[in-house]
Amino acid sequence: MTSRFLMIAASALRALLLVLGITVLIFVLVRVVPGDVVDLLGIEGGLTEEAKQQMRQELGLDRSQAEQLLIWLGRVAQGELGLSIRFQRPVADLIVRALPTTLTLAFWSFVIGLTLAIGVAVAAVIWPRSPLPALVNAINVWSIAMPTFCAGILAILVFVLWLDWMPLLGNMVLPCVIIGIDVAGQIVKPLHEDLKETATAQFVRTAHAKGLGRAAIVWRHILPNSLSVVIALSGLVLTGLVGGTITMEVLFGLPGIGKLALDSVLGRDYPTIQAVAVLLAASVVAINAVTGIVARLLDPKLRT
Amino acid sequence: MLKSTLTRRSVFAGATALALTLSAGQFPGGGLVAAETPKHGGMLTFATLGLDTADPHRHTGSIGVQQVYAEALTSIANDGSVKPWLAESFDVSEDGRTYTFTLRPDVVFHDGTPMTADAVKANFDRIKANVTKGWLASAMKQVDGFEAPDATTFVVRMQKPYAAFLNLISEAWILSPASPGWDDTITTPIGTGPFKFGTWTPKVELIAPKNEAYWQADLPYLDAVHFDLRDAVDENALALRAGDLHVARVPGDALPELRADDDIDVQFLKDTTWYFWSFNNRSPNPPFDNVKVREAVAYALDKTAYMNFIAGEDGIVTNQMAIPGNFYFDEALDAADVHVKPDLDKARAMLAEAGVNPAETTVKMVSWQEPYAEVAVQMVKKLGFNVEHTALDDLGTQKLLSEYQWDIAPMASGPRADIFLRFVRFMSDGPNPVLWGGVQDPELDAMITDAVTTVDDDTRRAKYLDAWKRIMDRYYTKVVGHASNAFGVRSDVKGFETGFTWSPNRVDGGLAHTWLDSGK
Repeated sequence: MTSRFLMIAASALRALLLVLGITVLIFVLVRVVPGDVVDLLGIEGGLTEEAKQQMRQELGLDRSQAEQLLIWLGRVAQGELGLSIRFQRPVADLIVRALPTTLTLAFWSFVIGLTLAIGVAVAAVIWPRSPLPALVNAINVWSIAMPTFCAGILAILVFVLWLDWMPLLGNMVLPCVIIGIDVAGQIVKPLHEDLKETATAQFVRTAHAKGLGRAAIVWRHILPNSLSVVIALSGLVLTGLVGGTITMEVLFGLPGIGKLALDSVLGRDYPTIQAVAVLLAASVVAINAVTGIVARLLDPKLRT
Repeated sequence: MLKSTLTRRSVFAGATALALTLSAGQFPGGGLVAAETPKHGGMLTFATLGLDTADPHRHTGSIGVQQVYAEALTSIANDGSVKPWLAESFDVSEDGRTYTFTLRPDVVFHDGTPMTADAVKANFDRIKANVTKGWLASAMKQVDGFEAPDATTFVVRMQKPYAAFLNLISEAWILSPASPGWDDTITTPIGTGPFKFGTWTPKVELIAPKNEAYWQADLPYLDAVHFDLRDAVDENALALRAGDLHVARVPGDALPELRADDDIDVQFLKDTTWYFWSFNNRSPNPPFDNVKVREAVAYALDKTAYMNFIAGEDGIVTNQMAIPGNFYFDEALDAADVHVKPDLDKARAMLAEAGVNPAETTVKMVSWQEPYAEVAVQMVKKLGFNVEHTALDDLGTQKLLSEYQWDIAPMASGPRADIFLRFVRFMSDGPNPVLWGGVQDPELDAMITDAVTTVDDDTRRAKYLDAWKRIMDRYYTKVVGHASNAFGVRSDVKGFETGFTWSPNRVDGGLAHTWLDSGK
């Protein structure tokens, strides 16, 4: 019991240090990029050099980076993400408004991707002499070779402009399908290979000998043994989805976390960038932890 | 007293506006649609510049949205002239130091309280006391005091004449002093405009519902305006064609496809963005501290090709900060432009005379990540110079320019409510002077100050032109030309006309007069 508690505590500490490290790294990196928010306001806003200096003083941007970091960490420790220095709005509000869009996009993309990958891989094992194994390769190659923004533009031209089937702005269907295919491409090939390998195992031959149908063997005996592959890959895919929805958000005018992060970087809105970085880092750590736990629950070999 | 009448300036500017409007296939004031009866209702989706703050007094950046919920005493009309707006009329004393505004008696704020002279004074007091940055700061420094002698009279006394004042206060938004955050940063502006502030999500949208008690009878026609604030100008053209946007700012390279679409009209802002090459004037590196070398570089500039690259057939080639037809444009000066065509032989001869071997000289160029900057680089390279080109995003460029470790910057700047706002960039303590190389020239400062404090229009124009000649002679900045910002407008949008500046609500047009043919 004590050793399990120590293990969980050590994992939590590692995760905390990881998030802290990423935060500090982002904090430093965004300040290496030339220009700050005052420069942005000065571009078209008629700010004299004196006015800009005064504004930097008011915003605390004239302090040392270490001082700014300590102040910010102190606030975060008290649960305050602060104000967006560009829009004078609470950063928490901006994140809360953006989060549902990204979560919806990520969730449905993942569901579509997982369903497609498992469906096609399983079908390709059941009917190995059909075109389905070629479809496995096609989906895999598509996800490697076709950047999502290219697929997005293509989809806009075909489904929005030519066929006029759906709107462009705020469209959730196309982005979910495009990212879903991308997700499927990352899972379908390794899963198919694993399924094929499992299909040669002795217990599968036994099932055949018992007279079980091909589909039943795949669903009941082969697939459950290959689920650990799906789970391991799902962890990687989900962590990619956390920040990987940005191109779709920009292309389809979806106000999600990715778009918020991009706008914050372009506007050098430091408090927002830092808050989004913490959120993304924490999400990745949490997803890794959850997939680790699920993998242990499903695969007895990992419990030791 | 000088009454607010039609001046020569507005006549000239009006001629330009007419020409531009007709070329865009529209009649001014929505003449084509005058015979149609406007329909009430519907929500218009409008993609334009962003919105940086909910506090209009503190704005330091984009000004293309707030005009629909916050209005001002004056307004820049479509022809570029300044007209009374929330003020019924204004008088300027002969010495140019006292402005008397007679306010409209029937204007109420969105919270139902009347717009009185006291409320107007409270706004100007707030701007003068709290808003020490931005365009209005220079005007407010010239103010001696504000008075509200009765409910409909507001008086401004200046220390000395300031010709840009009426134009500049077209951005001094009048809000109810009961607006939340008045003592610090306003979070919900309560204005007088045809639409209310509504719901704002930064960088995403502003939903502005109709003001049912608007002071202009029967306006606005629309139930609401949905401002798309993503600032995704490149994607706007696609969204416009898909029918997701009614009106949208669009990039120049999208114009051919939009013009080919029967459901979309293309309109242009009446004022232009001007394109120029600036030299580093704050701390120039040799050999660009030699005016003859700058002149030689200017001979490498192919203005027609450059503007054609930027705006195609819509580009305007000139050597001035104003375009033909504008009151401050000078035809003789334009005709005498020695750089109207490139002359590489002359450029090389001048460089040789100045003892400059281009092959041994590296020119440091700084720009935004704009394709036209690369054209500038190629033109400079034609003289044999080595070019070290750094192209960064807006903020990176701003930072790099302010360090003055560069030689040439091909830049651009957008429409302004008054010509002074272009000249002020050349003043030693001017706002954000980096795009123009940070000029430090006390004599030029004095010339510009003299011009802006001159009451008589013609004398002021002559003084501004003298200042401009000095800028040209010293090659502080070399103007290439002008191009207007384009908007795509779907055919079911009626009564919409772009303005002189980005303002979507003006004394003679804008979103209050716009309606949807479908009524929804």
